[in-house]
Amino acid sequence: MESSSCAMLPADANPFATRWTRPGAIDYLFPPGQSAAALVDRLERQNWQGQIVGPHGSGKTTLLLTLLPLLAARRNVIHVRLAGGQRRLSFSPDSWRDGDNCKQLVVDGFEQLRPWTRARLKHTYRGRMSGLLVTAHRDLGLPELYSTDVPLEMACRVVAALPPEANRVISERDVAECLTRHAGNMREVLFALYDVFEQRRNTSDGSVAT
Amino acid sequence: MEPLISVALRDGKRVYHPGDTLTCEYQIDGVARDEIQAIEASVLWHTEGKGDEDLGVHYFERHTVGEVNGGDLRALRRLETRLPNSPLSYLGVVVKIRWCVRVRVFLRRGKDVVVQHPFQLGDVPAVVLEQVEQEE
Repeated sequence: MESSSCAMLPADANPFATRWTRPGAIDYLFPPGQSAAALVDRLERQNWQGQIVGPHGSGKTTLLLTLLPLLAARRNVIHVRLAGGQRRLSFSPDSWRDGDNCKQLVVDGFEQLRPWTRARLKHTYRGRMSGLLVTAHRDLGLPELYSTDVPLEMACRVVAALPPEANRVISERDVAECLTRHAGNMREVLFALYDVFEQRRNTSDGSVAT
Repeated sequence: MEPLISVALRDGKRVYHPGDTLTCEYQIDGVARDEIQAIEASVLWHTEGKGDEDLGVHYFERHTVGEVNGGDLRALRRLETRLPNSPLSYLGVVVKIRWCVRVRVFLRRGKDVVVQHPFQLGDVPAVVLEQVEQEE
């Protein structure tokens, strides 16, 4: 019987496809001395209040998804991801106020909520028994937990974490050029490298630019 | 211990056409009987590319411990389904459409293991970039 594994990359696959690069497919890559566990400890020291701030495509959602399993082990987490111009929560903030302790509301894309809703959430989820962790592109008045950005070294580490075919075809120079062109937006860098990979895969040897 | 999941298409066939019957056998091994909670097998397509991914399940079956005599889900099973007219497998530049048989084994403590066995539906030729550039 022939068998195949989900982890295997088909021969004609592009390792920069969303399947392998979307937030959550690769854990957030911390600089030396930092870790997900250390950040959760820091969040606890901040009374479970915190914001992850960074520009578009800098890894905020990826970082959040890396923290969530650790958070869920210690807190009752509700994770809300606001996307596509969504400006409302699907539940009333007050409905969650009473009941269990250790409640942790996690909002990805906090600034998409209206200022009044943000203020209400900050007021509701403070104190020892509840917490609020958010991502945003700018300071929204919560204690800073982490600031994301994408230096070249980190971008190269992301590419190195992809299936090996990516590193055979794409060089560090390719990554650097895309990173400059897209002003540090790693999501756009990966999209651009998808195209570069498609162009090169059809050459005889898929050679790497030097 | 990680279970060994074997998936085989009948006659080792890799290319099918709309209306063909796909027959597949799958079996779980290398794991204790009471470790397995359930098995799901599906025949599905999914897109792959730069944007959001799409997925469609054409066939699905689920087996749980309670419904099986002796509670042993490791036995060889066979699924059979008639394949639809679309979407056909497609290897484009921006998007690819892939078909596969997917077997997911649910283990104790919430863990699950997935194996995918790809096949091709239809015979749409793969797009090569030179061809795209000429067309533009």
